Amino acid sequence: MATLSFPLSRIEGHARVEIEVQGGEILATRFQAMEKRGFNLMVTGVPAEQMPVIVPRICGVCSTAHHVASVKALEDAYGVQPPPAARRIRELLLLGQLIQNQATSLFVFTMPDRLGVESIFHITEQEADKQDQFEIARRALKVRQLGTDLITLAGGQFIHPVKAVVGGVSSGIEQEKTRTFQTRLIETLPLAAQLVDYYWDISLRMKDRIGTWGDDQPAYYITSTRRDVPDFDSEIIRVMTPAGECCQEFTAGQFRNVLTFEPTDYSYAGRTSYEGGVMRANSLARANMTRSMGTKLAAQYLKRLRETFGHPAHPILLFDLCRGIELVYAVERAVQLLQEPLDHVDTDVPYTPKDGEGWGMVEAPRGPLIHHYVIEDGNISVGEFIIPTVHNMLAIERALRVAAQRYITADNVNMELERAVGRVVRAFDPCIACATH
Amino acid sequence: MDNQQPPHAHEYLENKSENKKLPTFAVLQLSGCAGCEVSLLNANQWVDKFQLVYMPLVVSAIEVPCVDVLLISGGVRSDEDLYNLRRAVRCVNKVVAVGTCAISGGVANLGNRDEVRELFMSQTERRELPRLLPKSRPVDDFIHVDQYLPGCPPTPELFMAALFDDPEFKPSKTVCQECGRKKLKDMRPKHLTGFQTGQVHPDICLINQGYLCVGSSTRGGCRALCTRPGHPCVGCRGPSDMLIEKDSAAWLQNIQRVFAALTDIPPDEIREALLSPQLALFLFQFSDYAGTDKPPRPKEKVL
Repeated sequence: MATLSFPLSRIEGHARVEIEVQGGEILATRFQAMEKRGFNLMVTGVPAEQMPVIVPRICGVCSTAHHVASVKALEDAYGVQPPPAARRIRELLLLGQLIQNQATSLFVFTMPDRLGVESIFHITEQEADKQDQFEIARRALKVRQLGTDLITLAGGQFIHPVKAVVGGVSSGIEQEKTRTFQTRLIETLPLAAQLVDYYWDISLRMKDRIGTWGDDQPAYYITSTRRDVPDFDSEIIRVMTPAGECCQEFTAGQFRNVLTFEPTDYSYAGRTSYEGGVMRANSLARANMTRSMGTKLAAQYLKRLRETFGHPAHPILLFDLCRGIELVYAVERAVQLLQEPLDHVDTDVPYTPKDGEGWGMVEAPRGPLIHHYVIEDGNISVGEFIIPTVHNMLAIERALRVAAQRYITADNVNMELERAVGRVVRAFDPCIACATH
Repeated sequence: MDNQQPPHAHEYLENKSENKKLPTFAVLQLSGCAGCEVSLLNANQWVDKFQLVYMPLVVSAIEVPCVDVLLISGGVRSDEDLYNLRRAVRCVNKVVAVGTCAISGGVANLGNRDEVRELFMSQTERRELPRLLPKSRPVDDFIHVDQYLPGCPPTPELFMAALFDDPEFKPSKTVCQECGRKKLKDMRPKHLTGFQTGQVHPDICLINQGYLCVGSSTRGGCRALCTRPGHPCVGCRGPSDMLIEKDSAAWLQNIQRVFAALTDIPPDEIREALLSPQLALFLFQFSDYAGTDKPPRPKEKVL
């Protein structure tokens, strides 16, 4: 027996893939999360109201999702409803994160796989078309910056936002700022669409080269966005069956009755399953489980995806294409939200802190994110974080097995496997800091 | 930040074609949240001035080669962190500890509390994975650091200043100076407002409104991104130069003085609130930090 070990880069956090082989047969594929900080224990004894500032530090990539989920969990415990203006500003925050995350995954993490380079920041002397490549990198960073600046506009601090507070948000957004930013979004939208077209094109070329879109067996899909149009701030989680039947519905507080969580001895992250089956969260789950994107350009892209790959679609490299669709959606949706004035004074409602239990959920870029708190004497006695990457663990390992079977025979290992491992893992865009917290 | 533009291709290629050797830098990420790395990605000006040779988040590279500047983020949490840290600094001109976790442990210090630590260690044994150390440690417990870049995370501007060694770069002395909210002598709350309770007046100092804001003794350079939209400063950049080499008692005294000038809140109430976890993450970054008895880090080394 031999164990092949693959260090991973261009993903969030420290992880490794191991493949166990015996005589050409794949015995096991393991996705190992290699770091751990222990937030579930670290937050015990913390005053509950400080959670929205502490928990974004679980992850600097997904901080916005943790910030909003935390505030929602406290609002659930205290019985508070934020006013509509606050909910719009929070949605902008989540959209800012979606733009930043999808642009990062598309252009910084996975585009190098399609271009055959080590990084978009490395343009080597040998590249014949390096000028083009540099121009693409420049544009990609410009689109990504849009997300960062939207987070700053709606959230204050640019990595660990502070503006969502129990009962609403700490302030509105001045009209001049909303107008300026809306103009910038409108001006940058064509650039984002061009990049998505380009990405689509180089993905097709990569498929021609490698001959596969990756693991295309059906799976369960999980999301908390709505059935008709995307909504990253809903209260209901849905699971779609491998046959495309939709859907079992449940609330965050019911997740334990529906999903099975188990720790693993080879990774600091555990894994969840649905009725013993492989489950997938993230962009492809949302694309499979949402009727329409609800915005003009993004709806056209979704139509193109369905016409080309069917519905529901299963090949894993489509996760990447779906991120492109969502990038366009997020820009278009932010333009809509900024249409209405957000400089209200009534951005929050008063509340009284009390002990009890609260559940907060948002659809993070990687899937449904749940925060669960029990509050005693004003302090956290139980802090639980249910992380979307953990829902994808079995799916990642199955897709790794499919790749391993493709490139390993009884006689040899095709070293394309090394690149395939990177492509498989990046398709799921896992977040290790979150998964292990 | 809105106006930051990456360089145009022709500028970049001209630099390359003249065979100018660009200085190199690497980013070593230990146990942390990657927020520092994301902030660095938000700063684009380095793209044509530096060659990024190692940063697993965005570059496929296995080992830190010899570099001009090494940025280290995250705390030392596992034996693998320690191994990678010691290997990375062997061939480096300048070592910069970036962000609160690398400098003083940051949020990870919440896990160093004994009652949490014992439970944590008992739950985290795994086969064939990096072994966790008993406590999360700052990087200068193990290696020499040339410069400290505090912040959770540092802003892109601060990253640029650290990379480019710009002698002209002078951040404001305190967050307070960058905030610009009006301080009033005649709006004197009698008690602290709950940390997140109530409407925030847009132009008036948060202390006048009863918020526990520590921006008056926190080092500037962040553009007051939290306090301007109405969230009290939690002190993530650490003490200002005036206080940085003093112990935490001097820092607490200074905050008490500010509150006495602007409010009628009893000093004991403030003192108790200052010791809450949210602030304890950040406050004592440079002297008597993280429970060690090491000498304060000299202010000349802190950006």
